[in-house]
Amino acid sequence: MILRGLWRRRWLSLIVLVVAILPVVAGSLGPMYTDAARTTLLRETLDHALLDHRGWRVTSVTDTAGRLVEGVKAPFLLPPIKGAELLSPNERSTKTYPLMWIDGQCEHVTLIEGRCPTAAGEIMATGASGLKVGGTVKLNLVRDPDSGKPRLMPLRVVGVYKTDQTDPIWYGRSLFPQTAGVTEGNGDPLLTVEDTELSSAVPAGVTMAGVPATAWASTAIVYIDPQKITGDDLALLESVQGELRGLGQSGLSTTVFSYMDDTLKAVHLRLDSLSVPTTLVTLQLVALGWLLLFLTVRDLVAARAPEIALARLRGLSTLRIWAFGLSEPALLLLAALPLGLAASFAVVERMSERLLRNDLEVAVDGFTVLCGVAAVFGGLLATALAARQTVTQPVVEQWRRTPRSHRRAWVVDGVVLAITAVGLAELVAGDAITDTTGQRASALIAPGLLAVALAMIARRILPLACRALFQLTRTHGNIGAFLAMRQISRGSATASTVVVLSAGLGLAVFAVAAWSVTSRNYQEVARVHNGAETVFVVPRTDAATLRKISASVPGTAPVIVTPGPPATLATDPVAFASVALWRPSYGNDQPLSRLVAKLSPPTAAPRVMFSGDRIRAHISTPPLPKGWNAVLYADFRVFGETRPASIPMARLLAGTTVYEWGLPRGCLTAPCELRGLRMEVMGDSGTDFEDRPSGGALLTKLEMRGDGRWSTVDAGLDDPNRWTSTSSTSDGGLPLSFDPNFSATRPDTFPDPMPGLSSGTAAGQKLPGLDDIYFSGYKSVATTWALPGLNAPGVVVDLEMADRVAYGYSSRTEFQIWAAPGRGEEVRDALRGDGVPILATRTLDDLVSAYTSQGPGLALLLLIISAGVAALLALGRAVLALHAAARRRTYEMAALEAAGARVRPLRTALLLEQTITLSWGALTGILAGLVAAWAALPRVPEFAETPVTPPLDYSLVPVPVIAVACAVLALSMIAAAVTSELLLRGVRVDQLREAPA
Amino acid sequence: MTPAVRCDGVVQIYKTKEIEVVALRDIDLVIEEGESVAFLGPSGAGKSTLLWLLAGLLRPSAGRLWLGDTEIGKLGPRALDRLRAADIGVVLQNPARNLIPYATAVQNVTFAQRAVRRRARRPAGDLLDRVGLTPVRDKPAGRLSGGEQQRLAVAVALANRPRLLLADEPTSQLDAATGQAVIELIRDLGETSVVVTHDARVSEATGRTVTIRDGRIGAEGRGGEDFVVVGREGAVQLPPEYHELLPPGSMARVEPLPDGVVLRRAEP
Repeated sequence: MILRGLWRRRWLSLIVLVVAILPVVAGSLGPMYTDAARTTLLRETLDHALLDHRGWRVTSVTDTAGRLVEGVKAPFLLPPIKGAELLSPNERSTKTYPLMWIDGQCEHVTLIEGRCPTAAGEIMATGASGLKVGGTVKLNLVRDPDSGKPRLMPLRVVGVYKTDQTDPIWYGRSLFPQTAGVTEGNGDPLLTVEDTELSSAVPAGVTMAGVPATAWASTAIVYIDPQKITGDDLALLESVQGELRGLGQSGLSTTVFSYMDDTLKAVHLRLDSLSVPTTLVTLQLVALGWLLLFLTVRDLVAARAPEIALARLRGLSTLRIWAFGLSEPALLLLAALPLGLAASFAVVERMSERLLRNDLEVAVDGFTVLCGVAAVFGGLLATALAARQTVTQPVVEQWRRTPRSHRRAWVVDGVVLAITAVGLAELVAGDAITDTTGQRASALIAPGLLAVALAMIARRILPLACRALFQLTRTHGNIGAFLAMRQISRGSATASTVVVLSAGLGLAVFAVAAWSVTSRNYQEVARVHNGAETVFVVPRTDAATLRKISASVPGTAPVIVTPGPPATLATDPVAFASVALWRPSYGNDQPLSRLVAKLSPPTAAPRVMFSGDRIRAHISTPPLPKGWNAVLYADFRVFGETRPASIPMARLLAGTTVYEWGLPRGCLTAPCELRGLRMEVMGDSGTDFEDRPSGGALLTKLEMRGDGRWSTVDAGLDDPNRWTSTSSTSDGGLPLSFDPNFSATRPDTFPDPMPGLSSGTAAGQKLPGLDDIYFSGYKSVATTWALPGLNAPGVVVDLEMADRVAYGYSSRTEFQIWAAPGRGEEVRDALRGDGVPILATRTLDDLVSAYTSQGPGLALLLLIISAGVAALLALGRAVLALHAAARRRTYEMAALEAAGARVRPLRTALLLEQTITLSWGALTGILAGLVAAWAALPRVPEFAETPVTPPLDYSLVPVPVIAVACAVLALSMIAAAVTSELLLRGVRVDQLREAPA
Repeated sequence: MTPAVRCDGVVQIYKTKEIEVVALRDIDLVIEEGESVAFLGPSGAGKSTLLWLLAGLLRPSAGRLWLGDTEIGKLGPRALDRLRAADIGVVLQNPARNLIPYATAVQNVTFAQRAVRRRARRPAGDLLDRVGLTPVRDKPAGRLSGGEQQRLAVAVALANRPRLLLADEPTSQLDAATGQAVIELIRDLGETSVVVTHDARVSEATGRTVTIRDGRIGAEGRGGEDFVVVGREGAVQLPPEYHELLPPGSMARVEPLPDGVVLRRAEP
């Protein structure tokens, strides 16, 4: 009988079914989408993570690393890449080579010459190593086991290879100094086979934590396969991280190297920013679905009112009447569950494919089904509420169509308005109430609340206004306006139409406003944070090499970034100004080229460079008081170090003396720079401070010894412009004061403070410098709202000056080559052509995509798609409600027609009624959406981490909002015109022979 | 013997948002077991309201109403439901209103039996046979003719073996022949029955008529003769045919007689 009933009311049933599917879709879409989004976030994070951030490298000198990691299992782990390596100087100790074998190494290198090693004692070397096929290498730690004596095993070169240093088998390590051409002390890896390890002997007697250890370190690299991991695997990933970290902590002999903790932290940050917004969006959509369902089921139940009255007449118990009354909608809700889940699945699959990733496997899990069931139960509750009046109304009242008092409706309105007012006040003046600042995902509840609240007011105002106009149209105007006003003022379909339209369109307008504003902010933030359209991260080298690389590729700028705080971006100002993405509004409407022109000082003294093993200083010293000593220290910047190397160059003696001392060891292999001279004056115990030496010594000449020959160093000792000011000046050399206030001097190679272009609150702080150790002062030449390439307040300085200030390059610095707009591909090819490894490429579009795929972005994506569908359904439901209400009046219209009323006023009446109601609802929705956008947008999270710079812009983007508003109004007009015409065509005078519906 | 129906000063007031309407006032009425009574009267006189009171769909605003030994006014909603399910059969005006149009004739009967204990149910087939609808038993009610629908409505009303059958204008939308068939059907049932009607054939077929005017019982007819009814306060409603002699608003003298009184128009 239920099916027969559904068939009899098939169109209404179909509409109820469609509407019933909505909350199920909304309820299940959220969890399914969240799962897909979580997986996307996890995979995106891993995809963009450096190799050592998405895997573990386990090394052990006492155990086999491969065996250690075998115990750690997870479906998303790739099989371990096993290997072993040994670091040993060559026979003559001129170079230190890593000798290693790695599983599958031959597939990961390109042979230039020869073949891959296959037997013990065979190796292959890089082209940069200078080793030739057929040649041999002997390493101090690899000995021939057959020999009773400590004889070194000859390793025969059988192949020459080159490799991509970003290949996973290298685990992101800087293993190729020779290829990079940056050092003379370390060699590129020599690749061999496992048999070499097994057949070679190493010096015995080494123990690690009491366990005999070998010089070979067994290694195993375990990577996560981003294609196999899902959002649900996060807990397992943390457990794997715990297990592997435990391996490293279990003893000294095993080391686990990984930045997985950082990755997990980043994942958590992004995931945390996803769940709350998606839940709120889902809840609002489910609530809207329930509202739609409530209103639609009311129609269905109303259509069944005579049957329900019959059931009561036949004495069915209350329970049976409820069961009978709800049987049809309940069956539809039951059918809506699988259909809704299937629809959600299809939508999420399509969204994943188009908007997230195409390698996602969308699944309907237990929780999703549970959410769908919860949505159905909510729908059932909405259905019960909708049916309540019909089921409980006394039969006689129903037959007599007694109007009921709706006093309690005001209570509901009052509660909703009060909640909204409090919520809005909390949102707008949040600081005052909750003492919290910043962004809150709870702000996403604003559009729903506001839409419902404004709808509550609007639905009351419209009938009142029409009632007033009704009085006017009674005496003035035509019958069309009179009928329309009368009908609207009755409010039979007005209230639900206005509520549904306002809620649906309010959400949609808010979603569009939020999306457009957020997209603009993504674009702007990405412009600033990326700095250029394309940024290539290259291996850390030195400023001169980076400049050289940039100079060889047109349309690029060399950049070194130190995170800070404050963040420091060192670059070549002219090149920077030509490639950086800049908006004059960031810097008082000034072009970047004008601002950065002030960064380079007009002149700077040349650097004082040393290269060799010894230093000699010619110093004239006055006699020192008895018991007093003076020592002259020299500070050097040594390649590859981040701290200065100091040497006690001379313990000064009276008279003119030549002092000689060893240069820092690093000066032997690479030039080092004299960064300062310091005089330390000390008295023996018992000396009187009053007798402290005054005046100073005079440094007249500096020499260095390289390749056994002495040469004079151009230090400009007698040029006061080349050294920072001292206590006195002299034509014959550099005065070195005994006065502690003037006891230090340095070559004046950079201005102090250094000129810098600062942003935000960076002004006034000290810069960490490229070495990230020795802070230096800077003088702001201009302050801007944002600076390209900096995601925090920071300073842009001249690269040359920054390099002169620093003692080296911190491991936190990043070396980048920026490409001018539109030149990314060319620059990449040029860099590759020059043999410059590209560790990472960051593009503006990638960064925008990354923001979009963060939690808030994904939640907004869900909001805009779902809100769009919900708005269309709301509009459809509103039109149907109006249609149904007007159809009930066709009898009355037929009577009017029979009484001689012309069709035109009747058409006008219908059209006016529908247009006014739909437009009023639409306008209320648009207003609600705009107010919600104004109130909530500054509070709605747009980023997983709110960017410090540039300042976000929350002003509405007018075009999409106006487009949506116009589309909504146009759709309303069309719907009104079509339904009016359809209804009018259904009006027949013959109807009067039938009983009114 | 307890009468099937007893009304004692029953008053019914409808309350709407703004006004109160007195639909029935001071109704005193006794219907004996097995009696057939027709309620007559103009539209809006209160016939249907009295029928709904008898059906337990309303509780009197004042006065007392018994169905058998049960006083309606003291019953709660659940008890009223049980009363309707067990003891009362109702045929509403417009046959379609009594039926679920998409359900078959059999389903309509069984639907009416849902609230009845199994042993109290009349077999649906027997009922349909009795009203002559066996050939269309599996046809949706909405597709039956007006007469068939009305007969089915009677069958549905009888599905619970009611002690009291109430019918509201059972012949109003039927042609003469079909109407006659329905009248005979109700008459031949042998149950206590109350029929609201404007149809003279129906009133003739019942043993007793009760005419209701302006919410009061104005007259009763028994054995083909009509009587005015003296109300609680001695009020008598003159039948409309005598309004020419004693127009409403005129003054009259009451002259006692041994077996009653006589009214004579008093000239002012």
